Amino acid sequence: MKAEDDKTRILNDHCLMAYSGEAGDTGMLTRSFGRGKVQFAEFIQANVQLYGMRSNCTQALSPSSVSSFVRTELAKSLRSRKPYNLNLLIGGYDTVNDKPELYWLDFLAAKDKLPYAAHGYAQYYCLSILDKHHHPNIDLEQGLKILRMCIEELDRRMPMNFKGVNVKVITKTGIQDLEY
Amino acid sequence: MDTLIAQYTEPVYDDEIYDGEDAQLTRISGPPTANLKFALPPIAQPSAFLRAVTDDHANPDCPIKIAHGTTTLAFRFKGGIIVATDSRATSGNWIASQTVKKVIEINDKMLGTMAGGAADCQFWLNYLGMECRLHELRHKRRISVAAASKVLSNIVYSYKGMGLSMGTMITGVTPQEGPALYYVDSDGTRHQGDLFCVGSGQTFAYGVLDAEYSYDLSTEDALALGTRSILAATHRDAYSGGYINLYHVKEDGWVKHGFTDTDGIFWKRKLETGEFSNVTVDL
Amino acid sequence: MDPFSINGGACVAMVGKNCVAIACDLRLGKQTLTISNNYPKIFSYGDTYLGLTGLATDIETVSTDLRTKVNMYRLREERDIEPETFTNLVSSYLYQRRFGPFYVSPVVAGINNRTGEPFIAAFDCLGCTDYSKDFVVSGTSSNQLFGTCESLWEPGLEPEDLFETISQVLLNSMDRDALAGWGAHVYIITKDQVIKRLLKTRQD
Repeated sequence: MKAEDDKTRILNDHCLMAYSGEAGDTGMLTRSFGRGKVQFAEFIQANVQLYGMRSNCTQALSPSSVSSFVRTELAKSLRSRKPYNLNLLIGGYDTVNDKPELYWLDFLAAKDKLPYAAHGYAQYYCLSILDKHHHPNIDLEQGLKILRMCIEELDRRMPMNFKGVNVKVITKTGIQDLEY
Repeated sequence: MDTLIAQYTEPVYDDEIYDGEDAQLTRISGPPTANLKFALPPIAQPSAFLRAVTDDHANPDCPIKIAHGTTTLAFRFKGGIIVATDSRATSGNWIASQTVKKVIEINDKMLGTMAGGAADCQFWLNYLGMECRLHELRHKRRISVAAASKVLSNIVYSYKGMGLSMGTMITGVTPQEGPALYYVDSDGTRHQGDLFCVGSGQTFAYGVLDAEYSYDLSTEDALALGTRSILAATHRDAYSGGYINLYHVKEDGWVKHGFTDTDGIFWKRKLETGEFSNVTVDL
Repeated sequence: MDPFSINGGACVAMVGKNCVAIACDLRLGKQTLTISNNYPKIFSYGDTYLGLTGLATDIETVSTDLRTKVNMYRLREERDIEPETFTNLVSSYLYQRRFGPFYVSPVVAGINNRTGEPFIAAFDCLGCTDYSKDFVVSGTSSNQLFGTCESLWEPGLEPEDLFETISQVLLNSMDRDALAGWGAHVYIITKDQVIKRLLKTRQD
């Protein structure tokens, strides 16, 4: 694996999808049939962008609509001969209702809208930190501070070393890369 | 008195093992003797059989479900040691008890915590209490925490591969060691350290504890941090919950700081600090 | 890795005097890890209510598929679907997947619009319907729910008493199940109104 691998895809102006594979052999239903994660991510990206072109770009898909579309595709694949095996986080800014939204999807295509979410080892180490420090009204700076706490904890306790992190921020104005 | 002690002392083994830290003083109990005889299944490979029927990690369909799942923590700080645990026992998804005492009072100076097989922990820590008392009678001074933890680790090591399941922390404060904390598990691992969390909810407790831990914590803050770390684990880990059992170990012995329902603590925390923003309170 | 107990959850429905109640927990988990504390498992289709426990992905799929079917029914018939009809719909829909089932245990509750009779039913994942005159349960706490229902339920409960009964039944069952809890929703359905309440519960 490359160290500078970016595991996110921009779906539209206000919607970003992060993906990761299932660690270990816990994926009983999908064992050894897994198809590429990147293929799925790019398939979703292409289709969301296609929708944007077809609908004359008047209104991009909202994060909730994007997440529903992704879930349907993942659920279809789950009962196919070669299921995709990936966990997703979809973050987006709903420009109509002026609200940021976050969706959690696992490889079984279970979906939920959450104030904060994680996948893999990070769930076990970071959710308790977020439970303690997250607040609905935090600003970007406080948010990054909490993120830093989470990454420090992963660095300290995770059985393996991860090679750096990519940090992206989704706001009303769009998606930005952040230097970490 | 000596005859009384002799009654409870095992015959000396040729291959006596000595603890480096307490060399001449601690004789380690060797393999099972007269008072430690356990019935084994009358088959060629008892340990493999036991693993097949009781280890639900290796075999989820195993017929005998041993009570499992825990969050326990202990950390050293300038005022001594904080020990905190949850109180839930589960067998499968069934909550067998919400009022388990997972802190075992080895004697009035030392505490042990319980994670893994409930019966294994209860029995062997109780047995350790007896060994520590015998040590006191033999040598006319209290056993060090290092030696006590080594006694336990040698016992469980002698049963390695037979399906014992325990992850425990031995704590105490002695004049020669100060506040001492050891982690001992059924694999035979034994570590000294400042901070340990053990059990299915350990990662959640580590998350909160690491962020705010410091050796110079005041006693009040240390007790609050212990409670908050267990609370975090009970909230996220399905196999942890019930009551928070809190102890403070000092030089002159341990002090119990309550057995408090997480239900009350949780809603109080949420109301006062706004934490746990993921929990909805209105439709 | 039993698909019925990966995500966890509990649901129960009860009959009272000219009323029915249906309640569910709010947990979404991944084995021992609690992902969400706000994952309701009751869905409304007009005046008929459906509770779904089991694999979360199938809860989502089944509830939205049924939404499409009920909407089509409404367009064709120009009226709301009755609980009895909905029950047949759920049953035949589930049996379509006889050889690759949805891992869900549905529960239906409602009041017949014409007769005013309370109605409840439960299904297995293949669509076998279990009509009941008293209570139905589903989910990882179903054993506990049966026990508490058997001891607390009685015939002819008024709406407020039914609310108290179903709440105690669900609360006490969840407290003995590691995979359910973390909040609950309760619906009390009478001929002319539906009351929805949130129960504040233990969060461990």
